[in-house]
Amino acid sequence: MSKKTETMLTGRRIMRALLSLCALLLAAEAIIHRHAYFALEATPLFFALFGILATCLVVAISFALGKLMARAPDYYGGDDD
Amino acid sequence: MIENTLAMLLNMPGMMLIIGALAVPLLPSSIRHGYMLAVIAVSVWSVWQMSPDQTMTATLAGIDLILVRAEAITKPFALVFHIAAALNVIYAMHENAKITATAGLAYAGAAIAALFAGDFLTLFIYWELTTFASVFLVLAGNTPRATRAAMRYLLMQVASGVILLAGAIMLWRAGAGFAITALDATTPAGFCILLAFGIKAGFPLLGGWLQDAYPEASPTGSVMLSAFTTKLAIYMLVICFAGFKPLIYIGLAMAIISLFAALLENNLRRVLAIALVNQLGIMVVGIGIGTELALNGVAAHAFASVLYKGLLFMSIGAVFMRTGTDQASALGGLARHMPWTAGFSLIGALSIASMPLFSGFATKALTIGAVAKQGELLVWLGLLFASVGVVLHTALKIPYATFFAPNPKITADEAPLNMRVAMALAAGLCLVIGLYPGALYALLPYEVTYKVWDSGHVLGELQLLAFVALAFTLMVRRGIYPLHADRTIIYTDWLTRRAMPLMVMALGTPMMKIWNSVKERFIQLMLRAIRTSEEASRATGLASGVASTGAAAGIFLAVFALILLIRVFM
Repeated sequence: MSKKTETMLTGRRIMRALLSLCALLLAAEAIIHRHAYFALEATPLFFALFGILATCLVVAISFALGKLMARAPDYYGGDDD
Repeated sequence: MIENTLAMLLNMPGMMLIIGALAVPLLPSSIRHGYMLAVIAVSVWSVWQMSPDQTMTATLAGIDLILVRAEAITKPFALVFHIAAALNVIYAMHENAKITATAGLAYAGAAIAALFAGDFLTLFIYWELTTFASVFLVLAGNTPRATRAAMRYLLMQVASGVILLAGAIMLWRAGAGFAITALDATTPAGFCILLAFGIKAGFPLLGGWLQDAYPEASPTGSVMLSAFTTKLAIYMLVICFAGFKPLIYIGLAMAIISLFAALLENNLRRVLAIALVNQLGIMVVGIGIGTELALNGVAAHAFASVLYKGLLFMSIGAVFMRTGTDQASALGGLARHMPWTAGFSLIGALSIASMPLFSGFATKALTIGAVAKQGELLVWLGLLFASVGVVLHTALKIPYATFFAPNPKITADEAPLNMRVAMALAAGLCLVIGLYPGALYALLPYEVTYKVWDSGHVLGELQLLAFVALAFTLMVRRGIYPLHADRTIIYTDWLTRRAMPLMVMALGTPMMKIWNSVKERFIQLMLRAIRTSEEASRATGLASGVASTGAAAGIFLAVFALILLIRVFM
């Protein structure tokens, strides 16, 4: 992989690409009907909102748990245990 | 006679691999791997040829054993176990390691044989054989840490075996015989058997051995380990406990609790081991639902997950081999140096994320669809939440932290050719399942009527993934996402690594005190008896006139015993 591709992946372009992809997928909802088993699922933008909220929730809970669960790297005695 | 027995043994699925493994250490390295692949090929061919109602029975001490029988769900598991065994051989071809090669083949054979076991005694034997073969793969890590992890692994696996045997005997005493059939988990026998399966399936609090042992194995060892034990347990849960409702919540707990530990964990092979529990959790939910669609989902998901999980373990194993580390905080930037490995890893990542056109999408959808059909809204939301977690801690974090995160200093060679071939084959299968799910659906126990390519469903999945990726990228750029931190995360393996030794010490110290005082008193008693018997024989001159020393010793001993008896009883 070239250096250029690498900076592209970490750089600003990836953000732009992701944002336009997300916009495109939201727009597609106007054309494609999502069949739903639950009324909640049928709400417009359900999956988009769920994705963002769940990510925030997972990271927030991990932060809180991290305070409880994190120990020094050699907690179990390091390489020699 | 011997030929007949051998022919019968070789007719038993998996046995060809177990017996074939015995010859592995004797072969020169130049033909060893070719031989192993040939054995696996013949074995898979003979299993494929088996008619569905073929059985093999035997009678041992009045107990009827069902050595071989197949259910509708056996075939996909047997097939994917063979594929995994072959991929493992290719992946490990660069190694000249007789013990791991032998253990790996026997382990795969035992797991396959266990699928076909029709009674709990036969299952118990293969159950233990998988344990003893696989512990060598952990030991192959060849560090003091790996040795200790292997002992803890052995302890948990043997516990599962003993509980299984206890449950089987209780079942037999209740008059139900040893046959493996649907069981009631609320009876003591059923509960024991559920517990035994639960240990190997990574149930909450029982699965600590997974993230303890798998990351300590050698790079090839952890790939071999990831396929068999847990999926065998899932298969057995399907046979015995399909439709047992509490499994829905046990599975949900497995799928969700593991998220946070996997997100925080720095050791990438440990992340994969914890993420394995998450995948197993989704399967356990499917078993709890127990409908035809759900069980199809379990079989399909198990099949696909053996491949993509193996692929991810392979890619991190290759990185570990080339860089000497599997710590996220020390990696990054490897896409430049290991482009093939990075590409294969991405295919594994997209598969586990259930991206449309990749295998996870075609298989996980069945289970999640089955949950939705049952109207279980909360369970469905829970699974969706767990899916988001998988995307975050495996599909995005592993490739990003390993291959794409900025790390200008790192250098490494590309993985050896054989590793790349194994990864390419696994990645190819992930794509085949993703593109032509019908090929896998045809193997499933029940007819699949589920429309996987429903445009609305594809759109929903794409939206979910795109927005999770967006949130992930934003958080990484802002430095909010907990990526790089060299630390130990306490998880359920703490129970065996810390709590158990502490408990043993707490119970052991007073017990040692009691034992020491008993021992001390016993020694005092003995010394006193010796002294008295010496004095007695000297004073009476009882042995002085005896000709041989042997006779003198005899008299001495008799007096000694007499005095000891008197002292003890009076």
